[in-house]
Amino acid sequence: MITNRLLEIAERTVKLTLQHKADQAQAAAFLINSSLTRYANSQIHQNIATKTGGVAIKVVNGQKIGVLRAYSLEKKQIREIVKKAIKISKVTPPNKDFKSLPKPSKWTPIKGTLDKKTAECTPDVRAEKVKEAIDTAHSKSKIVRAVAGSFSTESFAFAVANSLGISAWAEISSTSFQTTVISKSNNSQGFSSAEQHSRRIRDIDPVKVATQAAEKSIRSVHPKKIPIGEYEVVLSPRAAAGLLMYLGYIGFSATSYQDGQSFVKYNLDKQAFDKKLSVRDDPRNTKTLYSFPVDGEGIPKKKVQLIGKGKVSTKSICYDSFTAGKEKGKSSTGHALPPTFGFYNRPIPFNLIVAPDNASMEEMTQETKQGIFITRFHYTNPIEPTKAILTGLTRDGTFLIEKGEITKPLMNLRYTDSMLSALKNIPMIGKELEIIETVTAPAMKLRKLRFTGITQY
Amino acid sequence: MSLDLGKKGLDEAVKAGASYADVRIGEILDENLTVKNGVPEEVNLLQTKGFGIRVMIKGSWGFAASVDLTRKEVVEISQKAVAIARASNKTKKKPVMFRKATGKKDSYFTPMKKDPFKISLEEKMETLVNAERTVSKQSPHIKVSQAFFRAMQEKKLFMNTEGAQIHQQINWNGGGILAIAIKNGEVQRRSYPSSFRGNFATSGYESFESLQLIEHAEQVGKEAGQLLKAEKCPSTTTDLIITGDQLALQIHESCGHPTELDRALGMEADYAGTSFLTPDKLNKLQYGSKLVNITADATVQGGLGTFGYDDEGTTAKKVNLVKNGIFVGYQSSRETAALLELKESSGGMRADSPLAIPLIRMTNINLSAGDWKAEEIVEDTQNGVLMQTNRSWSIDDRRLNFQFGTEIGWIIKEGSKEKMIRNPTYTGITPEFWGSCNAISKDDWKMWGTPNCGKGVPGQVMYVGHGCGTARYQKVRVGLIK
Repeated sequence: MITNRLLEIAERTVKLTLQHKADQAQAAAFLINSSLTRYANSQIHQNIATKTGGVAIKVVNGQKIGVLRAYSLEKKQIREIVKKAIKISKVTPPNKDFKSLPKPSKWTPIKGTLDKKTAECTPDVRAEKVKEAIDTAHSKSKIVRAVAGSFSTESFAFAVANSLGISAWAEISSTSFQTTVISKSNNSQGFSSAEQHSRRIRDIDPVKVATQAAEKSIRSVHPKKIPIGEYEVVLSPRAAAGLLMYLGYIGFSATSYQDGQSFVKYNLDKQAFDKKLSVRDDPRNTKTLYSFPVDGEGIPKKKVQLIGKGKVSTKSICYDSFTAGKEKGKSSTGHALPPTFGFYNRPIPFNLIVAPDNASMEEMTQETKQGIFITRFHYTNPIEPTKAILTGLTRDGTFLIEKGEITKPLMNLRYTDSMLSALKNIPMIGKELEIIETVTAPAMKLRKLRFTGITQY
Repeated sequence: MSLDLGKKGLDEAVKAGASYADVRIGEILDENLTVKNGVPEEVNLLQTKGFGIRVMIKGSWGFAASVDLTRKEVVEISQKAVAIARASNKTKKKPVMFRKATGKKDSYFTPMKKDPFKISLEEKMETLVNAERTVSKQSPHIKVSQAFFRAMQEKKLFMNTEGAQIHQQINWNGGGILAIAIKNGEVQRRSYPSSFRGNFATSGYESFESLQLIEHAEQVGKEAGQLLKAEKCPSTTTDLIITGDQLALQIHESCGHPTELDRALGMEADYAGTSFLTPDKLNKLQYGSKLVNITADATVQGGLGTFGYDDEGTTAKKVNLVKNGIFVGYQSSRETAALLELKESSGGMRADSPLAIPLIRMTNINLSAGDWKAEEIVEDTQNGVLMQTNRSWSIDDRRLNFQFGTEIGWIIKEGSKEKMIRNPTYTGITPEFWGSCNAISKDDWKMWGTPNCGKGVPGQVMYVGHGCGTARYQKVRVGLIK
């Protein structure tokens, strides 16, 4: 098993580090096999496979810490890397907030996170499925002009060891299929897209994904303009997931909370959102895509209720061992990022599940006198994190709802609104959950979302 | 960098039937240092080594890469790239054509006086600790103070079946400081010399030293505190003056990305999106006012997107994107140049590591200097708002509808700064916005470096540059936050 080999490398690296008289040491060894077939203008234009592996080493001398990540699993190179990490730790000023590397906790692996067929998928299989999607989309209408998208298959394994006895590992497979369909009629273009994520390639249904994207794309040509302002909105699971992903990022990390930059800090135990909204970070739940039993420090990942019946509390915050050490009585919730997830140097939840309710998308539409259906959001960014103000645009299928029916396509709209306002009144939440990368969410209807611009040219 | 391994990879690809192949072998050192609230938050070194082989079989691409730099692995990866290219053939409509390159044997090294990796960690940390400490002392409301340093060294060898053999070593570094002041849930931030960890340049350590972080720390800290008491940006339509640190991002999002030819041809439609600058608009569309001249220039000294050759062997060059307000050019690759029947690639193909395929990426997208002095633009403005230093950004998938927030702003009345304002935001539609540009400065023109431009699937992060000064735009909607 690859995880045995990685664990052996991690433990050997820790031993090697301690031989250089480090006080504490942690090593995480990782291996990623990723393949991706990308298509545009109805043919494959990028097709890649990459094998990467390496180690991330943390060396502690007193409160001096050195970190080095290197893309190599070779013994000789690891010896060099250890020497460099030791050197860094010796000349770094002490970090007075650092207490200790974490002690081991009991953990159990999660069954079924690695699907061999997904991990070993060939370029021929990916090409066949891509061809199915392209052919399906074009078969829906002559106005379908171009089909684009990507199909990825990946396996990721890591193992962590530290000098206090941590010895843990995780491995997953994942696959994502995305299709964008561009239609054209009398000089007007219509866009739409659909996507599917799973850890098993057998779940991927290119015909279903392409059909969804094509049907909406065909209906999106000749979009109309509407005045900007507040509207009721029906959000597809993708659109809902898009908002909640950003909310998760800006609100629930212990780093943001401790720095005073999280909206959670200023809304503790208040009715911040609608009572219908409950969101948990549930890493062991295999309904989430990146389901790991342990985090990047080898701590068991814990379930965290981020939002419970619309309320946030001190228990909503996600910690790693360093941020937990800065607050009295806190312990890590297992949210240190795995090696190579290190773009954000902070604990972050990435297994969000929104509690479903019982509404269907049809019921949400029928209940809407005048509103907007949104397929997905694009380029969302926080403007004021403490007030949870986000801005972004609609994309790939925005439609007007009138008297309970979808009537016409709309030009893309920009929203600028506080989620503390937009998610305060959620009359309906869907019953079907969809995995959208780090968030598993149902559709939902919001009583109002504030639109501040429209894309017209 | 092993020529033998590169040659082995090319030979294997040709033996397996490739009509074209290139190989890139590289080694990257990336050092990140951060001091936060008196402690070293980050002392990290990232070391990447590996190679990637790109092959063409019957007009379709395949690419494979690995971190294992051995002859055995080179053979295996080369064969894998060929198998992938054969799979790509299954959906082929038109074979890939691409413009010829000269197949040069050459080398390029970033000019530098002091190698940042030879400067002791203690020296770098001392600068950061002192700068951060100074920032933190300027207001009791400063809850987060940070100082940053980053240095990157990329050594790479490019070889292809046309005979190219190019060694390069690119070095860049830089840094910055940040103050975050918080009072009653109101958060204000100030950065120097720019937001998101500072400013960066292809250069030696001397460019980091020239930033003089400690000398600027007092003003950064003070302004963060002052912003807590400032009035909100009014919601109105007015003249807008943007300083270089924000204008760089405006150029990046509303000119850099839409002039990437792969976007314009639909090759990024599934992720980042397309472009309103479609080929039928080339040499016709009035992109901006006559004052607006924008170039892609990989040769400008110190630019973060400056190099000798791109990652498919094209020589670094300067091309016009917008001339006297007219949209006249794209950033292109050898393949996309052929698709549009352009004479040659603009030399913009770049990969963020040897393990990734090259994509069309910005080099240095520069707004040419105008005739004004920056202070004259303020003096010439009766009513307006001046905005400085990016805080938030968002733009649609065709690069038309943008909205930016900045850290700080000032109300301009009768030619002078009347008062500071907080939470400034502005929005617009790209050609209308650039069409309203009526003043561009020359005296404060400089290069800004953005090390975090994202593009592609799987995502790649590229370092790019933007040269600009201060500019003014008429009738812009500002103040979007309720």
